[in-house]
Amino acid sequence: MTPAVSDGFSPLTRNVRRTVLPNGLTILTKEVHTHPIVAAMIWYRVGSRNEELGQTGKSHFLEHMMFKGTERLGKGEIDLQTLVRGGRNNAFTWLDFTAYYFTFASDRWELALEIEADRIRNTAFAPEEFESEKQVIIEELQMGLDSPFEVLENEVWATAFRQHPYHAPTVGWLKDVQDVTVGEMKDYYDRWYHPRNATVVLVGDFATDAAIARVTECFGQMPAGPVTPPMKIVEPLQKGEKRVVVKKSTPVERLMIAYHAPEVAHSDSYALHVASMLLSHGRTSRLYQRLQEKDQSVTFAFAQYSEHIDPSLFYIQAELKPGRKAAEVEAAILEEIDRLAHEPIPEAELEKAKRQIRATYILGNEDMLNQATLLGEYETIANRPELPDDERGFRYLDAYLKRTQAMTTSEIQAMVRKYLHADNRTIGHLVNEDRATTEPTIPTGDEEAAA
Amino acid sequence: MSNETNHLNAGTQRSATGKKGVPTRVELSNGIRLILFENPALPMISMNVMVGFGGRYEAEEQAGLAALLGDMLDEGTERQNSDEIALAIESVGARLGTFGGYTHSGVSMVALTDDFPAILGIASDVLQRSTFPADRFAQRQARTLAQLTSRKDDPRTVAGDAYRDLIYGTTHPAHRPGIGYPKTVAALTRDDLFAAYRKFFIPNNIVIAVVGDFVTAKMVELVEQTFSTWQPAPDFVLPAVPEVERQREPREKLISKDKEQLQIYVGHLGIRRTNPDYYPLLVMDTILGSSPGMTSRIPRILRDEQGLAYTTYASITATAGMDPGRFTAYIGTSPGNREKALNGLKAEIFRIIEEPVESAELEMAQAYLTGSFVFNFETNAQMAAFLLEAEIFNLGFDYLERYPDLIRQVTVADIARVAQTYLDATNLTTVMVGPISSKD
Repeated sequence: MTPAVSDGFSPLTRNVRRTVLPNGLTILTKEVHTHPIVAAMIWYRVGSRNEELGQTGKSHFLEHMMFKGTERLGKGEIDLQTLVRGGRNNAFTWLDFTAYYFTFASDRWELALEIEADRIRNTAFAPEEFESEKQVIIEELQMGLDSPFEVLENEVWATAFRQHPYHAPTVGWLKDVQDVTVGEMKDYYDRWYHPRNATVVLVGDFATDAAIARVTECFGQMPAGPVTPPMKIVEPLQKGEKRVVVKKSTPVERLMIAYHAPEVAHSDSYALHVASMLLSHGRTSRLYQRLQEKDQSVTFAFAQYSEHIDPSLFYIQAELKPGRKAAEVEAAILEEIDRLAHEPIPEAELEKAKRQIRATYILGNEDMLNQATLLGEYETIANRPELPDDERGFRYLDAYLKRTQAMTTSEIQAMVRKYLHADNRTIGHLVNEDRATTEPTIPTGDEEAAA
Repeated sequence: MSNETNHLNAGTQRSATGKKGVPTRVELSNGIRLILFENPALPMISMNVMVGFGGRYEAEEQAGLAALLGDMLDEGTERQNSDEIALAIESVGARLGTFGGYTHSGVSMVALTDDFPAILGIASDVLQRSTFPADRFAQRQARTLAQLTSRKDDPRTVAGDAYRDLIYGTTHPAHRPGIGYPKTVAALTRDDLFAAYRKFFIPNNIVIAVVGDFVTAKMVELVEQTFSTWQPAPDFVLPAVPEVERQREPREKLISKDKEQLQIYVGHLGIRRTNPDYYPLLVMDTILGSSPGMTSRIPRILRDEQGLAYTTYASITATAGMDPGRFTAYIGTSPGNREKALNGLKAEIFRIIEEPVESAELEMAQAYLTGSFVFNFETNAQMAAFLLEAEIFNLGFDYLERYPDLIRQVTVADIARVAQTYLDATNLTTVMVGPISSKD
């Protein structure tokens, strides 16, 4: 199994061609002819990271508005045209980006380009559509608040980040979503949705030259758009542990331990990726062995290092068994992190983690949309000019593979000690709020009919 | 690594029926049904094994048996303990999962081509020689009991449980949650697991699908060799399950939970997968509430036009299986929208029964279903799942070719007929969970 070979490209990145149009639009193309399918995406480098105080949730709200029609396409037309061609479409927004995708049979995929080329500048912001969609987003937000982990995550991120916009959840704070106006939304769109700030990604059964020609035809004549304002906010160094307790009606406690960790493609980041595998990938991992097997204190637990444009968090989450206390599980996790930092890592364990990283690369890249998503995400977030060519943008995926494979025990332990320490962490506990006697209920009027 | 391993995908040999794009079906001498499909695109192989055992066959007082058995399959065998099994799989970066579902239990795995024979060996061991070690059993049982508590936090799960319970009544096994109940799970013993394992885990109750980077003849040989000593039980027949009928009266249950949203399920008993009207109903689902985006009626009207929900849908075919599934319309909405949402769902059910669909709607649904069919086979695991479905429901492997016509044949009159036959807008089960007061 040799996903990385001497030319420095992995199967995921080999044959990817990057084309940049004069107006700044980036195009990534990768021909894959195993199935008569094309995944077509467009990525905008804008997410909740770019939102001002009091205006959270705008990036995500804008994503919803992008399906509400353009000057040419009426409301519902984008979905309808996708449907009748047997395609699928959707979109997602996160801290650093907003991405839209279509998957089509390969004889009709170019419709995706036509739609994206239209809505990049011509999205209609009909006030009545805006208000109606606001209700949908409020429902989405409330749905999230019914998930205990989502509530805990919101509080931990908001506590860990005082100044940086990673403070706020991508869906936004409820009051901000309620208050945003259609004019503010249109301004935001006009600032960010331009070729200069976008990447088109195509993976699948097409001919590269013809596909690039078609993208050029659709987007090439557009102005580059304004230079986007740099995001200058830097989270100050944390100097001491922070704690937050969330109360919610629940039968089991939950726990999150989060450490400030470096931005994507930072040279310290690779060791932390291997640490995350050692801690929680599979049943042989350390947290599984400790919490599920030895202590039997949780129903599940995992470590996650989610990389972003700016420094973000390396975190561990656990759902406790009934009757177990967050403090006890917290102590066990901290002990495991301490052990990782100070006791030698057996060679076989390190080799296993590296092999898992390599295998995940092949096993996880069967479908076109997955591949397009990975290429688009890293092209969008790992774009710092100071990175070398073979580590910047989608090539970060090769750097990740190469550099994680080269990690030694001492490098991993040095980084665990540097980042996963007490002064750098925020700990959140979600505990039960017993509201049995004071629970507010809305009279239903027909309780007698209840079966 | 043994010699066969390197030869699985070597050479250009193709079995008679194993040419590219055509599945091969083989019945092994001990009764295992094996379906193979070559896909050399990536150096990997997926395998799904389905054993004809699940919650469908457990007694009411043993609810949760199949789920716990499925969970315990890889917890130790005569050859390896649970740590050794996990390490063997994870050290090569493969994936192997075991499960116990409603109609079937089994193993699903994916491995790089070179690692496949070793992982197949583990799958074979798990299917034939699990020992359900006592300490592992106690631990898994305790974890299941903990999960039974934590799942009460998910209002959709609570609503789904209550909904199935009302639809299937007390005598049909589909009324139970697959995970069981605290009382029944606590009462399960290792002996219960052994009894079910010995009875149902036999070669003539098993179907295997293998998809990926191999040559069919060599894979048949390898699987045959791996399972050669496993003896069939010639007298085995699957136990019968009671019939269930669609309700003739409305049923309702309200459950109070301290949550932001109200979860609403509305519907009644549905159809089997083998129902000849499955295809017109699939087209009806696409028009009523199951197409992507906001194109079908319920998401378009209740979400896109009225802003009542983020998630809302309806379908009768999604749960069609060996037993009748459920016709379900769902919405998650703020408690203040309750009447509007409920009436909206019911109005659309009523309308599709009473009024013929427009021919443009029909054509769009047909174009979608035929045009998107290709996406069901993009990954090896998807292909394996399809081959098993085709085998279990006797669809025939030429189903791939016949499917577009099955969809294109459906007429406006067919949709009216099936809507009137299989939907009932009056006698509905309604379950609501959330910030609402409950009274039984």
